Amino acid sequence: MAEPHPRSVERGCGSAIHEVVMSSAQRRVSDAMWSYAKRVAVMIATLFSSSLVIFVALNILPGSPAEVILGTQSTPSAVRQLTVALGLNKPMWRLYIGWLGGLLHGDFGTSYISHLAIGGLIGQAMTVTGPLVLMALMMGLLIGLPLGFAGALRNGKLSGSVIGGVSQIGMAVPTVVAGLLLILILTVKVRLFPSSGFPGWSDPFQAIRALLLPAFTLGVVEGAIFSRYVRASVLEQLRSDYLRTARSKGLTISQALRRHGLRNAAIPLITVVALELSGLVVGAILVENVFELPGIGLLLLQSVNNRDLLTVQDITMLVAALVLVINMLVDMSYRFIDPRLRMTP
Amino acid sequence: MRKFRVCIVTVPLAFALVGLGLVVSASPPFAAASGAASDSLVIGSQIAPPALDPTANASAAIDEVFDYNVYQHLVQLDPKGAIIPVLATGYNESSDGLTYTFKLRSGVSFSNGDPLTAADVVFSLKRAANATSGYPYQPLVADVSTVTSPSTDTVVVTLTHPDSQFLYDLAAYSNGVVLDPSTVATLATAPIGTGPYVFQSQVSNYDIALTANTKYWDGTPKLSAVTFRYFSSSTTLDSALKSGEIQVIDNLASAQDVSQFRGNSAYKVISGPTEGKIDLTINDSYGPLKNLKVRQAIAYATNKKAVLKIDGAGYGTVIGSDQVPGDPWYTPSVNKTYAYSPAKAKKLLAQAGYKHGFSLTLTVPPYGYAETAAPLIQAELAAVGIKVVLKNIAWALWISKVFEAHGYQLTIINQVEARDISEYGDCSYYWKYTGCSQVSKMLTIADEAKTPAAGVAEFRAIVKKINEAAVIDWLYNPDQLTVAAKDVVGLPSGAVAESFNLSFASIGGTLSATAKSEGFVN
Repeated sequence: MAEPHPRSVERGCGSAIHEVVMSSAQRRVSDAMWSYAKRVAVMIATLFSSSLVIFVALNILPGSPAEVILGTQSTPSAVRQLTVALGLNKPMWRLYIGWLGGLLHGDFGTSYISHLAIGGLIGQAMTVTGPLVLMALMMGLLIGLPLGFAGALRNGKLSGSVIGGVSQIGMAVPTVVAGLLLILILTVKVRLFPSSGFPGWSDPFQAIRALLLPAFTLGVVEGAIFSRYVRASVLEQLRSDYLRTARSKGLTISQALRRHGLRNAAIPLITVVALELSGLVVGAILVENVFELPGIGLLLLQSVNNRDLLTVQDITMLVAALVLVINMLVDMSYRFIDPRLRMTP
Repeated sequence: MRKFRVCIVTVPLAFALVGLGLVVSASPPFAAASGAASDSLVIGSQIAPPALDPTANASAAIDEVFDYNVYQHLVQLDPKGAIIPVLATGYNESSDGLTYTFKLRSGVSFSNGDPLTAADVVFSLKRAANATSGYPYQPLVADVSTVTSPSTDTVVVTLTHPDSQFLYDLAAYSNGVVLDPSTVATLATAPIGTGPYVFQSQVSNYDIALTANTKYWDGTPKLSAVTFRYFSSSTTLDSALKSGEIQVIDNLASAQDVSQFRGNSAYKVISGPTEGKIDLTINDSYGPLKNLKVRQAIAYATNKKAVLKIDGAGYGTVIGSDQVPGDPWYTPSVNKTYAYSPAKAKKLLAQAGYKHGFSLTLTVPPYGYAETAAPLIQAELAAVGIKVVLKNIAWALWISKVFEAHGYQLTIINQVEARDISEYGDCSYYWKYTGCSQVSKMLTIADEAKTPAAGVAEFRAIVKKINEAAVIDWLYNPDQLTVAAKDVVGLPSGAVAESFNLSFASIGGTLSATAKSEGFVN
């Protein structure tokens, strides 16, 4: 069956055309649902295989939890006894099924080492890592968006080159180095911020203050990355035919950009922001260790050292799930931003 | 619509900017804000307890916080290493060394209000001695035969055979903690004891907060709150003390850091004895290391004084066997058996058939002392022709590969357990000493000796025997190096016990004569 041209749909007012519009709209909805369903199925399959990889990789690591708990008091018999007590003598597949089953019920299990509920440990850590990542993303956008736009609009001028150079340097600086430099300047020399630690959320002002510098450390590098993409994306739109047409109608550059260019420029940016959000979670692991923040990063590192395998499995799985969900949402969001994608099944 | 979209972006950003600005400008400097109140203390440390229950995990970091501070024993060690009665008011050892009778202190209660009874002590000691208890140090009290309470204030322990170290082990190790039987199910999350402090809260791997036990039998402690805070880097830890975020560093992980505080009137540096033996452990079952002459050559080739000076910043004692100055059988003469002499080392290597040397791998666990000492040892052994390759390894792998599987040639480790010479009588122990069964027999003789003096003499014989066999290369006994703000009073002078005993700690004020005599510092 021949599809009507989209434009004719928009113009349509006659009854015959109206019918075509309805069926076409329904079909579009079902196409969308089908494509979302496919995307969700792919994500679930990926999550499942990630869980398998994570479980196998961690369980073949040398150094068992029982050995670490007993430390220099470990004897083969004591290790065997404790392994049984911890329930780790069961076959691998049963441990895997038990773990996965728990996760599906929202039960992260109990730490072999601290005997605390892992869900609680992760929840406590997320009250640090969550706000840290969001603050860093916000700072990254605050820095990256204006810098990128300015860079694009001033392309070819000296100020544009300076912006490009600064962002290039920002991208090249490793997060940890940026963090150490900022600690040195802003806490040891100026004493504007605490150098390390987190006082908890009982005093939100102090909590946010403790997160500002780590968030800035993460955000400044992200900002530099964003500004490069924003600049490139806006420049591409500025050079495009449709924008030239818009300007020939009499719009100024910024008017033309606002009305026509932004939506087009946003598509690659959303991908970058989403990918960087996953990157920020990983970056937070490093920054938390530099600033001694009790977030997911510190929990993960200590759990690896203590061979608290179940906690490591849970955190790794959670980060993997987060990345997959973000990527899925990005894929889905394209259809909202770019109407052209809604037309193609 | 377009305006709305613009709003979506700009309004939150504007709010965020204003909010951040307010936070920065309105807040006082952090150190002043978070600095401890006048009667509370923040102690910085580098190794966070992996769990809260000292009866389920061997980590010394748990004992540091909870032993003596939250949990107490019938008898404990004071900072000088003497056995003092705590929950017992006194004890009596039978002449055959098989029966110990403890008189229980009256008027003691747990922090949850439950009174301490003889039945609680019986329960706790039986739990520790039970072969399936899971106590990491259970083997030390495996010789307990019966624990009974003939009257409400008396507990009697009988042993299967005499054990001269029984009281010491009860005092020094977490086997001795007295528990409230009704709380054992929640030891992992809510520790309850009779000690001067009460567990308040923890942020895993970050901090542990204790508060004063207002029901404490010896009077409420002077500090209302104590927080142990954990740092993954020594640089951040040192900075935190300098900025006033913490008031005490329990023990410098890298002794060299002491130079930042020594001579500065704002701080006090407290050094005192520990039970640690920093060992260059040798796998006696590996190739050339089976040869006594090779092991002796290694002992001659290592300049222990230089290692102590650099690795321990000079704080500690050079040792020549498994002993520390506080041990009853301490024999200073063996410390000089292998006085530094590369010439003798070369001669011994030539006699053993290794005139042109050979290669070894030195496995280095992730501890400051080991990482600093390793290249020194490498250079010293290279000078006599032994080429050493350094291999850094994570702690979990060290336990698994080196300690459990004996897959190593040389390693450096601080053997922290008190009076652990009995390990030389254990044939499965990781240094694979071939004389183990003889030492095992000597240990039995020492434990069953009729008089303490005869027992000590037998232990001395073991000290000499393992020294002559150069089972391993004992480097030095390190001091604990505590650094504190100058107004912190009553910290322990040493770490003979694993507890960082805060029973007498205060900010300002003076220390009682009793506390001073037990080894707490004014």
